[in-house]
Amino acid sequence: MNNNPQSAIRNPQSDLLSVEIAGIRFNNPVLTASGTCGYGLDMAELIDLNKLGGVCTKGLSTRPLGGNAPWRIVETHGGMLNAIGLQNIGARAFVEEKLPELRRYDTRIIPNVFGYTVEEYIEAIEILEDGEGIDGYELNISCPNVKAGGESFANDARQAAEVTAAVKRAARRPVIVKLSPNVTDIAVIARSVEDAGADALSLINTAVGMSIDINTRRPRLANVTGGLSGPAIKPIAVRCVFQAFRAVKIPLMGIGGIATVEDALEFIIAGALAIQVGTANFYDPSASMKIIDGLADYCRRNGLENIGALVGTVELNH
Amino acid sequence: MPGTIDTLATVECNDLIESVSTRSYGQLRLRLDRQIPVLPGQFAMIKPHGHYEPLLRRAMAYYRCGLGKKSLSVDFIYQILGRGTQMLAKLKAGDEVDFLGSLGNTFYIEAAHRHEALLVAGGVGSAALFMLAEELVRCKIPTKLFIGGAGRGDLCGLGDFISLLSSDQVISATMDGSYGEKGFVTVPFEKHLQSRRGEPMIIYACGPDPMLHRVSQIADQFAVPAQLSLESPMACGFGICVGCAVAVKAESPVGFIYKKVCTDGPVFWSNELHW
Ligand SMILES: Cc1cc2nc3c(=O)[nH]c(=O)nc-3n(C[C@H](O)[C@H](O)[C@H](O)COP(=O)(O)OP(=O)(O)OC[C@H]3O[C@@H](n4cnc5c(N)ncnc54)[C@H](O)[C@@H]3O)c2cc1C
Ligand SMILES: Cc1cc2nc3c(=O)[nH]c(=O)nc-3n(C[C@H](O)[C@H](O)[C@H](O)COP(=O)(O)O)c2cc1C
Ligand code: FES
Repeated sequence: MNNNPQSAIRNPQSDLLSVEIAGIRFNNPVLTASGTCGYGLDMAELIDLNKLGGVCTKGLSTRPLGGNAPWRIVETHGGMLNAIGLQNIGARAFVEEKLPELRRYDTRIIPNVFGYTVEEYIEAIEILEDGEGIDGYELNISCPNVKAGGESFANDARQAAEVTAAVKRAARRPVIVKLSPNVTDIAVIARSVEDAGADALSLINTAVGMSIDINTRRPRLANVTGGLSGPAIKPIAVRCVFQAFRAVKIPLMGIGGIATVEDALEFIIAGALAIQVGTANFYDPSASMKIIDGLADYCRRNGLENIGALVGTVELNH
Repeated sequence: MPGTIDTLATVECNDLIESVSTRSYGQLRLRLDRQIPVLPGQFAMIKPHGHYEPLLRRAMAYYRCGLGKKSLSVDFIYQILGRGTQMLAKLKAGDEVDFLGSLGNTFYIEAAHRHEALLVAGGVGSAALFMLAEELVRCKIPTKLFIGGAGRGDLCGLGDFISLLSSDQVISATMDGSYGEKGFVTVPFEKHLQSRRGEPMIIYACGPDPMLHRVSQIADQFAVPAQLSLESPMACGFGICVGCAVAVKAESPVGFIYKKVCTDGPVFWSNELHW
């Protein structure tokens, strides 16, 4: 670690916090996570988007999707389950209706993309390739692959690699692949996605969960199961980042229950070069802003010239 | 002036009210150091500051508001049910509360001109109708309230409504018969519509889903327009989680699309809804 308190104190926040991931330069390593900030603009009244490192949009598909029947969300201890059903306006409407306004902000724009077949991913990417001001893509591979028995792409190293390689061939922009924690060995999936050409990884997506109303004996979510997010999943996410950091060379974005600067630092020390704030946006919309200021303070206090010096510095020797 | 702010508010008072029906309620007054527009039907997302169990803020309809020199005070009435409202019940004067508001749309009051306004409230749903009643009175629109609940103590805000509208304009019904008619409030409400058939009327309602459904059937039957204030589980309250979906009639393969209760509502025309 490069410890030089004198120069760090003089460094402006931009030098302390700017990071490069997959060739994309972020003003700082704090993004808002897919599905927890709408299309970015929805947050503009409450936070300064210019201050944010980047925005991962709600998952986009080739065509608009209506989503699941209610109830779609249920609060659990330290987190929430959601089964939104990937409701979105579609890649075309994003490019035409949201992007022109979003690119007026000084923040990196990362559309999150999904499909139910490899072809659908490619189609969505092709639509987005027309969009001006997009910096890269994040692939949500936690969807069921309907052509391969409905098992999620993310759960199978071969399918995860297949969709990654296909998207890499179609996209001229960097591709960040988002991994699911619902796998036996995340290192295996991480490696196979890296080998398939991914420029970076983001992890984790939600953990599959369920909640039952004991009076009606019905599942609380209309969809029966849903994705668990929030502080409850943070230790799982930190562990996944830690394991992936040891398995691959490409940069990592840490996601899962991050609400404070301490949470963010934990992920960075485990191996993440950037972090995404998800569920916290719901109950503390300015969480990302506080984390950015907190990271700069941490760098100054600890004499770090850039936050990157902290990545993966977890100390394993007692 | 921004419409929506995320700020700390201070508890001025928090009075707990117990009903013989064994349900309990609280009336909470918060003071904000800034002024923002507060419209009838709108709501705020609130939770005790610094507490993260439960995690999510709770949506609460504005019951009443008052302007100070530079400050704003807003009142809420909440029914103590689960973890979130149990936390609200512990708040003491001087405590801080995370406040995100004002959120949502407002009742369409213009439609009430030259009409009789009929308000239908079930349980704590009356909280969302008091500011509307004040505005209707201010606009000199004849206004009647039909208010129902489990028992006398569940007719939230009854005293305030009677002072505002006078007792002969407030028709009550309780399930235990402890006050007003015995049974569902939709019964005297339907009788009233029957007796005034053909006269210009407009309905505004807030309460449990089964009551709203019944109100919307009655509104249909008598061809009277109705605005309903809906509830749905909410994580954010400002449009980013898409958790608060409600099915609204639309030309689509399934005959409806999902809209967001928090930003497209909470107030909807009853004939828009796909029940
Ligand atoms: C626009 C709007 C206005 C509201 N206004 C009021 C009001 O003025 N007074 C009042 O007492 N309550 C109001 N509510 C309901 C309130 O937000 C809470 O949902 C309810 O008080 C239950 O919360 P809890 O913490 O006690 O229960 P919990 O069981 O802890 O709630 C668990 C989760 O389920 C959700 N939930 C539970 N029941 C409901 C329900 N019936 N509708 C929607 N979500 C539910 C909660 O929001 C929470 O996320 C309003 C809801 C909405 C959407
Ligand atoms: C309501 C909701 C919707 C989400 N939608 C998406 C999505 O469309 N695509 C995606 O890749 N991840 C989606 N996620 C997952 C988040 O981006 C994030 O990976 C996960 O919630 C863990 O982070 P958190 O604990 O900070 O929320 C969603 C999460 C929530 C809570
Ligand atoms: S409550 Fe989050 S979108 Fe409506």
